Amino acid sequence: MVKEQAQQAAQSPAERPIYHLKDVVKTRASEGYSFRLRVPSLRITPGEKIALIGESGCGKSTLLDMLAFVLQPSSCDTFEFEAEGRSHDIAKAWKRRRQNRLAALRRRHLGYVMQTGGLLPYLSVRDNINLSRRILGMKEDGTVEALAKELGLHRHLHKLPGELSTGERQRVAIGRALAHRPAIVIADEPTASVDPFAAEKIMALFMQMVEERNITVIVASHAWRHIKQLGLRRLAHHTRRSKDGRMAETVVSG
Amino acid sequence: MLRQWRQVLGLATRDYFHEWQISVCFVLALAAVLGPMMVLFGLKFGIVGSMIDELREDPAKREIRPVGSDRYDRAWIDALAKRDDVAFVVPRVRSIAATLEVSSDRAPRILSLEVIPSAEGDPLLPPGTGIPRGLREVVLSASAARKLQVSVGDGIDGSLVRRFQGRKERVHLPLTVVGVAPARAFPRDALFASVALNEALEDFRDGHAVPALEWSGTPPGKRYYTGFRLYARSIYDVAGLEEGFERSGIEVRTQAADIETVQRMDRTLSAIYWAIALIGLAGFSLSLGASLWANVDRKRRDLSVLRLVGFRTGDIVWFPLVQSLYTAVLGWALAVAIYRAAAWGINLMLAPQLEAAQQVCRLLPQHYLVALGLTLGASVLAALLAGLRAARVEPSEGLREV
Ligand SMILES: Nc1ncnc2c1ncn2[C@@H]1O[C@H](COP(=O)(O)OP(=O)(O)OP(=O)(O)O)[C@@H](O)[C@H]1O
Ligand SMILES: [Mg+2]
Repeated sequence: MVKEQAQQAAQSPAERPIYHLKDVVKTRASEGYSFRLRVPSLRITPGEKIALIGESGCGKSTLLDMLAFVLQPSSCDTFEFEAEGRSHDIAKAWKRRRQNRLAALRRRHLGYVMQTGGLLPYLSVRDNINLSRRILGMKEDGTVEALAKELGLHRHLHKLPGELSTGERQRVAIGRALAHRPAIVIADEPTASVDPFAAEKIMALFMQMVEERNITVIVASHAWRHIKQLGLRRLAHHTRRSKDGRMAETVVSG
Repeated sequence: MLRQWRQVLGLATRDYFHEWQISVCFVLALAAVLGPMMVLFGLKFGIVGSMIDELREDPAKREIRPVGSDRYDRAWIDALAKRDDVAFVVPRVRSIAATLEVSSDRAPRILSLEVIPSAEGDPLLPPGTGIPRGLREVVLSASAARKLQVSVGDGIDGSLVRRFQGRKERVHLPLTVVGVAPARAFPRDALFASVALNEALEDFRDGHAVPALEWSGTPPGKRYYTGFRLYARSIYDVAGLEEGFERSGIEVRTQAADIETVQRMDRTLSAIYWAIALIGLAGFSLSLGASLWANVDRKRRDLSVLRLVGFRTGDIVWFPLVQSLYTAVLGWALAVAIYRAAAWGINLMLAPQLEAAQQVCRLLPQHYLVALGLTLGASVLAALLAGLRAARVEPSEGLREV
């Protein structure tokens, strides 16, 4: 234990992991079926580009939600999050129901792009993108306009999400996830609901933008092919099912 | 901290007006229950209220009149006057003695007027009307003043006759009109005079001397009165006083039965009203609570998005709270408008049957505030419960909702 800590302290800050998970388990059960996600060990270092590839239902969203602090692990040994030189014990925060601390970490350090939706229907494109900035009290400095231009949304800034195409909405969601300059962006199949051609373009744009901003990124996807070209590290995982099909377990490590 | 709270208020407001169709429905639903309830209460309050006002304002309802004549001395009357439940009492002289023939320069007719004993505080002479004092001042009833064509400050001539020592004797008494009693208080021809003047008239007719008026006669003996004018302090004292008189063998006539009828009607109407109001209130709270609860449930996903972006749970609860406060205030305002329109219509329709300033449908300012308070209370409670429930679920649950 002591030795391990000393070793960690010796590492340069850049190499200290943003996420450090050990034996994290999430069990979900409904109507006799149960699903278990197990993470024996996971370390994600700053600036890494991680891809989580797998079939539907294998637990990608489950893992991402835990990494975004919106889903409580059923049990865990270690769940640490490192930001601005400080280590946060997520496991303890969940146990003590420190929802507001988790919310503070989310708004300061995280951007999340959901599979679909996630935009507020009553806010314009500009205000939706700006939401993550306003909550932190950040000043208007042209960031939103610059992002919108990059994402090809500058003509739509005053529209409501209901007046946008699905692909445009996903680009707005990307804009909001990046606007407040977070350390990490988590994207759960951000292009699942658009056609493959557009998906490829949006994904490439997204990766280029996070690259420029030097943001750690974790993306879930079920299509490996175009992800590979973008140079992401793939998390190893495999899924086992019981014979009667009533139980499934996914083990992720990396 | 405050910034986030303010932002949640702003977002809730924008959402509320963005979804204006749904908001309008909520407001209408609320007003549709609250408005009729206010009309109902306005009717109950107005009808019973105006009946009670009428009772209270009409001094005739507080009057207690002895039936027939008896012999009362001054001390007995004075003791009555000291009682708490008696507002006004003066002794009456024999009714045949209490008349006076009156004429004025302006009217050709001579009127024979009933003389009514009066004094300070006479309920038939409303504040502002003069009070007859001494042996020279009188107040005329409106009809008497009209027939004599006199008004306040004019002089009139009173005269009376007696048969004394075998011959007819007439005396004249110059009087000043110090007031005119309104027709509402006393519809017949009459003349209000001090007790002293009443006594003087009786003495003269009995052949006694009245030195103050230089009327000669025999010296008077101990004085007895045949009756009295008595008014209870309030309509609620009438029944008690009546009982007291009957117990001491004095038969009296009162309006206690009328008063009792109105009071019973008040109680019955109140009971009916409260039964309806309680059912209405229960329905109102349920419908408001259910719709606000459903609204928060509908908003679960949006609320989860706010939590994902990093709003604190405590601030999120304000989102449904603010929206239900909007619904409550707007719904109440609409209900007030509905009530005002209905009350105006009802009062207009029944105006011909009513006296001026009387209203069948009426609410006091505090009733509006009570309605607002109830609405706010019910909506805050519903929104708070629903909001806390929404805040308790894990954000990821709400996010993945289909
Ligand atoms: N709220 C829940 N209650 C019970 N079981 C759940 C719940 N949400 C998900 N599951 C189960 O957990 C498993 C993993 O779900 P998850 O959403 O993580 O899959 P996924 O890999 O994101 O799939 P997809 O690619 O379709 O989005 C699934 O088998 C699902 O049935
Ligand atoms: Mg998923």
